[in-house]
Amino acid sequence: MYKLLLCWRYLKTRYLAFACIISVMLGVATLIVVNSVMNGFSTKLQTLLHGVLSDVVIEGHSMEGFHDPAERIARIRKNAYLDSQIESMAVTLEAFAMVQFEHRGQREIATRPVRVMGIEIKSRSEVGGFQEHIASYRTVKKNNEDKKRNDPLPAASFAIPEDLRKLYEKAEEGLQNFRENEFKKAMEKFKEPALPVPMGDGPIGIPDDILQLMRDAKKGQPAAAPIPPPMPVPHVPRVPPGAIVGHLIAHYKYRKPETGKIVEEPAILPGDRVILTTVSGGEKLMPVYDSFVVVDFFKSDMSEYDANCIFVPLEHLQGLRGMDNRASNILIKLKDYNEAGKVVKALAALFEHERLAINTWEEKQGPLLKAIEIEKSILNILLFMIIAVAGFGILAIFSMIVSEKTRDIGVLKALGASSGGVMKIFLTYGLLLGVVGALLGTILGLAITWNINGVEAFIAWLTGTKVFDGGVYYFSEIPTDVSAFAVFMVNLGAIAIAVVFSIIPALRAAMLHPVQALRYE
Amino acid sequence: MHGTMPLLTALNLRKTYVKFANRIEVLRGVDLDVAEGEFLSVIGNSGSGKSTMLHLLGTLDQPDDGTIHLEGRRIDNLPAQERDQLRNHTFGFIFQFYHLLPELNLLENVLMPAMITHSVWSWWLNRRELHKAALEMLDKVGLSHRLKHRPKELSGGEMQRAAIARALINRPRVLLADEPTGNLDTANGQHIMQLLRDLNQREGLTIVMVTHNLDLVHETDRVVRLLDGRVELPEKISLPAFATAGAGK
Repeated sequence: MYKLLLCWRYLKTRYLAFACIISVMLGVATLIVVNSVMNGFSTKLQTLLHGVLSDVVIEGHSMEGFHDPAERIARIRKNAYLDSQIESMAVTLEAFAMVQFEHRGQREIATRPVRVMGIEIKSRSEVGGFQEHIASYRTVKKNNEDKKRNDPLPAASFAIPEDLRKLYEKAEEGLQNFRENEFKKAMEKFKEPALPVPMGDGPIGIPDDILQLMRDAKKGQPAAAPIPPPMPVPHVPRVPPGAIVGHLIAHYKYRKPETGKIVEEPAILPGDRVILTTVSGGEKLMPVYDSFVVVDFFKSDMSEYDANCIFVPLEHLQGLRGMDNRASNILIKLKDYNEAGKVVKALAALFEHERLAINTWEEKQGPLLKAIEIEKSILNILLFMIIAVAGFGILAIFSMIVSEKTRDIGVLKALGASSGGVMKIFLTYGLLLGVVGALLGTILGLAITWNINGVEAFIAWLTGTKVFDGGVYYFSEIPTDVSAFAVFMVNLGAIAIAVVFSIIPALRAAMLHPVQALRYE
Repeated sequence: MHGTMPLLTALNLRKTYVKFANRIEVLRGVDLDVAEGEFLSVIGNSGSGKSTMLHLLGTLDQPDDGTIHLEGRRIDNLPAQERDQLRNHTFGFIFQFYHLLPELNLLENVLMPAMITHSVWSWWLNRRELHKAALEMLDKVGLSHRLKHRPKELSGGEMQRAAIARALINRPRVLLADEPTGNLDTANGQHIMQLLRDLNQREGLTIVMVTHNLDLVHETDRVVRLLDGRVELPEKISLPAFATAGAGK
């Protein structure tokens, strides 16, 4: 009983002990915040990656991809086990490309490297990780949530809106008319060179105007030979296919001079035209290009995808690259992801003799996920040092308190307290400091974690520097995920350190001889 | 008045302190009997070993040689745990500098030996009786109005009275007082002595008091003097007339 009472009183009256509590508190809070943010990163990244990637991916080993994906899908469906496990599949063709468009903000042609993905909208949406990231879908969904409405969610599509289609058709016609008119005008201006006229004097067979050209050339002036205008391209009215462009390709950020705030502006808008240049398939690589009309944006909140991906109709890309009936990936959505391992094995057996890589999404992103785990472990070790430092604080302060309380320890022993009892006072004191520090640290850590974006905004406001740049990371906000187990382990570790570092002073107190303690000045 | 068997017996107690190369032989064979209900005062010069003897009798320290018996049971060589229990139940200590715990109020200080006796659960079960006993003790020493005061808010006399209440809370058989009036003025010293005398006479409490104030010894039943590490024979002790008059009554 006396141990608890004395611990409590020492806690209340020894202000030095608050230094220990604060150091434990800060250590625990830091660990909780860092762990939660790292967990948040990891979880969010996994969610987003899984949201964008399908459960299992079958991919060809090169940009050539593989032939007849439909036949492979049919073979997969024939396998009873696989058919029972697979919910849907989608064929894609991926390639590196350059995109060019007229940048609305900079008023110049912008060229960027991208990954062009040929997809079938329907099957790709069924596999998941696509439809829900389409900007128009997200806008309607958010509106519905915010305003408690129930508007129908638009399906992803490459279709160009009817009014826009008419505009393009009209523009195509206008362009054709313009070309034809220009041709006519040029033809009218163009004079056939006169045939050579045999003359008695002067150079034989060279017309005067040609002679004039020759004289000009001698004087160093460029020769301007009349060139007949090109024949106009036969009129084939054509509307370019639609493309869904990554949000970060189509938008740019800049700091507004008036407000000093960073704002996002569109570089291209739906309806704008982009030109994609990629390479043809086959042995001899040839540049191929085509223009597309932007119909929507892809916003998965993962900058890797939002800043690099452009989705175009599969058949069109196959045609453009001369890769008819070829694909680079088959994306597979499973009914139960827990079966992914078995499905991958079954697929590997099915395509045993084909040069195909079959992986779960986690295997595909293994290095990235592993890197995050390693970072988390290293950070945890480093941050635990903070609590270890707090432990040394406890050791120093407890040693001081034991010195200060030497005579009281003698009195307690004279009143019948055992050495073990005296030791327990200080161990309980350490435990109490650890518990109070850990408890306060947990409250502080959770408060910061749950308001991390507000804290980040405050620090950014205070320092004028953005701490978390969504452009650098995959996400626009700092993600957090509080793990109860991690919080428990951090608390346990902090309390254990507090107790362990109070062992030496507690032992010293326990070993004090009562008579010497009573005579201590 | 006194029983036939002494309550506390010390035989040939020896204690030497060694500090670096110096050996200080404090007790060189002390023999002492304390009868039950006796109020014994121990006098002697500074450094004569009075406090050391008191600490040995109260099992706060162990002799290098010799034995201590409590009602015929040897107690000097008991295991630490049993000696702790003896100090908690059988002996009560009061000190010259009171040694109240500054973090606790008066009531908590008085209850401290009882807290040491009881576990949390046992304390919870007996808390009412224990509080009542502490209040009685504080009432007995005239401090029932100061329950919530901290030691620093009390006078020296009040602190010593509180220390006496603390020493008595577990109803010990022997009260060991080390210069209980040494830090008090005459009036407060007299007050404390009166209190000790009352406890001895009314409740039969055995008291061994170390003092070098010869003015106080007339309040006690018997006086022994420590000289050169030994107890001087009673017939050799020469006390002032007033002291002798009081002693041995």
